Amino acid sequence: MLKRLAYLALCACAPLYAAPPIDDQRVQQLANDPFWISLGHYEAGKLSGWRSYVSDDKFFLAPDGAHHPYAELRATVEALYAPVSLGDKHPQCVYPARTRWLKAQLNLTDLPKAECAEFTQWFKDVAPHSTVMIFPAAYLNSPSSMFGHTLLRIDQADVQNNKTALLSYAINFGAYIEGSDNSILYAWKGLAGGYPGLFALVPYQEKLSEYRSLENRDLWEYRLNLTPEETQRMVEHVWELKQIQFDYFFFDENCSYRLLELLQVARPGLQLTSQFPLTAIPTDTVKAVKEAGLVESIEYRPSRERELLDRAKALDPEEQQWVLQVSADQAQLQNPAFKALPKERQALIIDAAYRIERYRANGLERDTARSQRSFELLRAINQNPASELQVEKPELPENGHESRTWQLGAGSRDDKAFAEYGLRMAYHDLNDNAPGFPLGAQIEILQLKLRQYEGNNWQVQQLDLANIRSLTPRNELLQPWSWQVGGGLERVLGKHGDENLVSHINGGAGGTWQLGENMLGFALGTLRVEHNNDFAAFVSPAAGFNTGLLWRNPVGNLSLEAKGDYFTNGEIRRSLSLNQQWEVSRNLGLRLTAQREFSKLTSPINEVMLELKWYHY
Amino acid sequence: MKRILLGTLFTVVSLNAMAQAPGGPNCGWGNMLFEGQRGTPAHFLASTTNGTSGNATFGMTSGTNGCTTKDALTYGGKSWIAMNGMMNELSEDMAKGNGEALTTYAVVLGVAPEDREHFAAVTHEHFQQIFSKADVTAEDVHSNTLAILKGDARLAKYATAA
Repeated sequence: MLKRLAYLALCACAPLYAAPPIDDQRVQQLANDPFWISLGHYEAGKLSGWRSYVSDDKFFLAPDGAHHPYAELRATVEALYAPVSLGDKHPQCVYPARTRWLKAQLNLTDLPKAECAEFTQWFKDVAPHSTVMIFPAAYLNSPSSMFGHTLLRIDQADVQNNKTALLSYAINFGAYIEGSDNSILYAWKGLAGGYPGLFALVPYQEKLSEYRSLENRDLWEYRLNLTPEETQRMVEHVWELKQIQFDYFFFDENCSYRLLELLQVARPGLQLTSQFPLTAIPTDTVKAVKEAGLVESIEYRPSRERELLDRAKALDPEEQQWVLQVSADQAQLQNPAFKALPKERQALIIDAAYRIERYRANGLERDTARSQRSFELLRAINQNPASELQVEKPELPENGHESRTWQLGAGSRDDKAFAEYGLRMAYHDLNDNAPGFPLGAQIEILQLKLRQYEGNNWQVQQLDLANIRSLTPRNELLQPWSWQVGGGLERVLGKHGDENLVSHINGGAGGTWQLGENMLGFALGTLRVEHNNDFAAFVSPAAGFNTGLLWRNPVGNLSLEAKGDYFTNGEIRRSLSLNQQWEVSRNLGLRLTAQREFSKLTSPINEVMLELKWYHY
Repeated sequence: MKRILLGTLFTVVSLNAMAQAPGGPNCGWGNMLFEGQRGTPAHFLASTTNGTSGNATFGMTSGTNGCTTKDALTYGGKSWIAMNGMMNELSEDMAKGNGEALTTYAVVLGVAPEDREHFAAVTHEHFQQIFSKADVTAEDVHSNTLAILKGDARLAKYATAA
């Protein structure tokens, strides 16, 4: 507060400083310069004028700076002439990027020389030289991670030679969350904008362990071709954003959008943010950065879980049993039966045993016994190290289909023909074009389907708010749960073969098993709550099952599903469905759906539909 | 809420406020091997906001357990306290005899590029002395390493650089 008052005072008594008179036309011109607009994070207002994404008064020097780039520029020029006795509080120290640019543009040769000890020390410590964009990929058991995240890593000059990326800093933009909110509130506020967004500069290594170990996400590192000068300009600007609050919205004003803004500061003239007027889904922003020609090379860091699974893949069932035994009890290392195994097989088993021990320790507090076990395994590794693990690179995430989907279908329900029109805002279901996505993960947000039956009868067919499924296979070593949750409006079989529009929430949990290299089988128990006009009660609960097969075949993904809902009021609703996707191109798919529905209220009904899916932007 | 937020965020540690103990008065020495990670009560949701609770630090003092990253503690221009957060990776790499954390450790200790392979081999061989017990601290690891380096003709010079 005081700080802000001080600035206001500065502006008010600006003439006291020796700022030279500047041609107003020139100021006007600079205030409209895209670079100044980037520095102030301005966007063109809905009707006219400007608005800054920064929601923090202390970022602005002019009282109306959030809406007036011109006033802010004037105020900044004046402020640069403040007495140097302000030390680190001097506007030159608080706004190094603004200072550098204005100094050059306006040829301000007579600026007082402010000593910016804090900034200088910080800048020296970060020592920016090159930039790497980091994309933690989707993690199967966390479909929400499909949206991804992006952050920037700032490397020092010798990082590539020395391979010391672990010592670099990462620039991360995220919601600032205070401890006590519960999960649901947390999600809601994240989506709705209840948290402020802030930039943070953290050791990259911390982010690595967060994503690779804690969240089990693979990381992609895109080295950008920003010059040292461009990287430095960006980092100078990041200093200006220290403890500055932005609004944070999950879909648009998120990490990825903010990083694009930073890249525009690094290299003025880049047009990145303008491509994302509505939503900025991280993979899409990666694509945009790539298309802008910024990516020099790409590296891949597998998650700890993927490493473990890859290690385990090379082991036969008997060896996997050894993994479990050895990880639980290191005395087994001396077991004659174990020692009888070939030495390199022993090494693989010990390595996998160590990995699974660490995997299980994930997110837990330190435990003396567990630490001792891990330590014993490390000593065993030291005696007999395994060959280096080479994890095969999966498909690049940005090569996956685009995030929004338009759907056009034609089909018949019993003997009635219909056309169906759909739009899904995001993102991917079990059958959608698979490259770049993990098999068995689905996240759909906001999907609307309209149907037009013969005789021009229109109806809302479906409105999904969210529909999330996570089918992660269980194996000898890891036994994750599979789960699903969804809610919205949908049509169900009603009396006399009608289709009733009902609102519902449902969820389920169960298991998934790898049946073949490209085939998963799953079985979940489900619960459902429904509001249906055919039912007497306002809401009716049901318990049921959902089981099926998912097969990744050369044409596309095939799913075969059986579902049942047993309502407490006696209604039993079941369905069988077959879905086969034909992956025509990256952003085009054709899907055949055949379904048979059963209900106690009416006789069974068949439906067949052929649907074109266009993944667009 | 805003006031609380600002209050907690403005904890930029003053660089002048330290001096006496190595790493400064708030320096949390002894990051242990296999120390617990931050829990993930709301992991699913963490990825929806990409938020990191309470984490709006701005470099310098973060990730170093409150130790300042200044002068006496740097080798080869970098603070080896940065290794604090990499203890697990380092132990794993050293046990195996190669890896990114081990390379980083060599760089931090100022080991010249031509000696790094040798450094990896020597520390691998002496893993059990360097990581001497399950609750070894970062500081132990550091001093154990220096002791090993001293015993190696080619690496001894890196044990004295301060």
